[in-house]
Amino acid sequence: MRSVKVALAAGLALLALAVGLTLLQSPLSVAASNKVPGNETAIWQTHQGATYCQAHESLPSGVSAIRIWLVAAAGPRVSVVVSSHGHVLTSGSRPSIWVGGSVTVPVKPLPRAVSDVTVCTSFRLGDETIDVQGSVTSAAVAAYDGRTRLYGRMGIEFLRPDKRSWASQALEVARRMGLGRAAAGTWIVLLALALLASIVALVSRMILREIAS
Amino acid sequence: MSEQLGARAFTGRTRAAKRKGTRRERATLREPSSPASRRRSPRAVLRAIPTAARVCALVAFLNAACWSIVTPPFQAPDEPDHFAYVKQLAETRSLPSSKSEQFSAEEISVLNGLHSFKIRLEPQVRTIATRAEQAELQGYLEEAAADTVPGSSAAGLATSEPPLYYALEAIPYTIARGGSDLDRLQLMRLLSALFAGLTAMFVFMFVREVLPGARWAWAVAGLAIALAPLLGFMSGTVNPDSLLYAVSAAIFYALARAFRRGLSASSAAAIGGLTAIGLLTKLNFVGLAPGVMLGLIVLSARAARVSGRSAYRLLALGGGIAVSPVVVFVGINVISSRPAFGIVSAAVKAGHGSLLAEANYIWQLFLPRLPGTVNDFPGIFTTRQLWFNGYVGLFGWLDTPFPGWVESIALIPAAAIVLLCARGLIQSRVAVRDHGLEIAVYAAMALGLMLLIGADSYIAFPNLDGEYGQTRYLLPLLPLAGVILALAARGAGKRWGPATGALIVVLFLAHDIFSQLQVVARFYG
Repeated sequence: MRSVKVALAAGLALLALAVGLTLLQSPLSVAASNKVPGNETAIWQTHQGATYCQAHESLPSGVSAIRIWLVAAAGPRVSVVVSSHGHVLTSGSRPSIWVGGSVTVPVKPLPRAVSDVTVCTSFRLGDETIDVQGSVTSAAVAAYDGRTRLYGRMGIEFLRPDKRSWASQALEVARRMGLGRAAAGTWIVLLALALLASIVALVSRMILREIAS
Repeated sequence: MSEQLGARAFTGRTRAAKRKGTRRERATLREPSSPASRRRSPRAVLRAIPTAARVCALVAFLNAACWSIVTPPFQAPDEPDHFAYVKQLAETRSLPSSKSEQFSAEEISVLNGLHSFKIRLEPQVRTIATRAEQAELQGYLEEAAADTVPGSSAAGLATSEPPLYYALEAIPYTIARGGSDLDRLQLMRLLSALFAGLTAMFVFMFVREVLPGARWAWAVAGLAIALAPLLGFMSGTVNPDSLLYAVSAAIFYALARAFRRGLSASSAAAIGGLTAIGLLTKLNFVGLAPGVMLGLIVLSARAARVSGRSAYRLLALGGGIAVSPVVVFVGINVISSRPAFGIVSAAVKAGHGSLLAEANYIWQLFLPRLPGTVNDFPGIFTTRQLWFNGYVGLFGWLDTPFPGWVESIALIPAAAIVLLCARGLIQSRVAVRDHGLEIAVYAAMALGLMLLIGADSYIAFPNLDGEYGQTRYLLPLLPLAGVILALAARGAGKRWGPATGALIVVLFLAHDIFSQLQVVARFYG
């Protein structure tokens, strides 16, 4: 059946194109961070919605996501607003149901770096608990929720696309995949690729034989 | 249309024959238990599996094997716990007794060498990246090998699970005994991958039974399920879910076969045996069991119309085999003065709140809140955010999702599939009506599983909201997903149906490949 062959060919071509375009994209990397390795601790805990703000941050140019160190079992929707002297520079939000020790919120990139900005993060909570991770500081520079000062500064990282694409980092990724394995070595990546190629071949053959006939 | 006519003709013939009670019909209903069919050798049974079903099985196995490579060791839900259970069973021939995560020194050593505790639930932390870290891991592996204390009495969350899957995993564990824990883990993951193959094969066979007139649509269902990323991910790790999916798919197939051919001694024993295997595999199977028993009752009642009361012996046979593991388990516990349901008893007693509150919670765990009810999931649209987004992609320790825009775009093909499926159902409405009881049995199985997930989640509520709100727990219902996909392809009409089917398969292939790329980016990027 011709329509099946056309559908298969078009589908595979689109898939190849999408994979190619994805590999030309760049991963996010940390442009700036206020984290002090080994100095992170819980600086606040809340069971209700809040807006935590932190002044005196520097927003690098081209930042497309901001990572805030919040710990949750199934995190709520989180919004981030970056402002300078009361003027909103960029903002974004991330839907609920995220896990782990941080939440990454996509924001609109700015073409220029801005110093001395205030980063505010907001969320609403039902019955859950959120821990804020950061480093203990004096109250004067600590993050705040309205008039309440937290015990330190929230961990914040500014992320922007790396200069190198996924494709140009492929070898490094492959080497990394080969570590920490039963039989360590980059060959494991070739095995995975061979398995994927076999799957594509088997699926295509089956579509032509069973569905097109 | 041919399927529809086929189904109608089949039902019509059966009804007419039942009314007349002809000798031929009785022979048809009893045929599967004839001595000739009982004598079929295992090789003949294997030969009877269509080539297309075997290819689907192979695709699912290869896919899960690929996932087993892509997913870093122990970076899957509760994999260290399941590994510890197998270690205890293989090395001491006894079951773990503690739910703590104080695993053996050997396992902890390997987890430390892999930086597992730092990586898990921390999406920004990658796996080990340098030769120095690899050398450090080697040191940990050597330290682990020096540990001579057998077993691991603590197996975390896995401790309360029944032993069948772990007993099977003890085989590759023992085979790879000369190697490191990483060698054992990889071999054990490959056994899980085999179960993915069985799952896809039984989904194909189930769809073949349910939609007998649409041969090409069987392949659509079998291939799409074989490529489902969540099946590949879960079956590419050490987790009893992989066997649970295979057993559930087999039981759906066995029931569908019995609904087509009538209940015989062999099919009753098969359904009972599979239920027993399911109960010995994972506690979640308890959710499916009432639906299976309902199926046995319906099938026995149907058979009784032809062969009289003797048909109820088949019910006793199937039911007896099904509950035998539970009876033995309870018996052993009662004799040894332990709680009747072992470690599970405590969880059963841990219920709280009114029945209405629990029912409201379970409803909201799956569906939008009803007006006037308490909101147990403020700010969360569970149907989409827990279940749909969870299906689209939540890998690793559920810490590896797709970006939000992918989850939004995924709604488009999902809606198209639902609409096409609805159209396919309308086209087959006569067959649907004629198979109402059979469909009710499958619905009861689905409902039972959802109730179990909801009730279990409610135990931890409100401290944790939607603890078991993970799409992987719904994968025992993959055969029904297979039917939905086959119906969707058929819903596109006779002319465009096969092409739509091909596109559905390619869509699942694309979803699978991008899911693996997402995991690669998260752990190794």
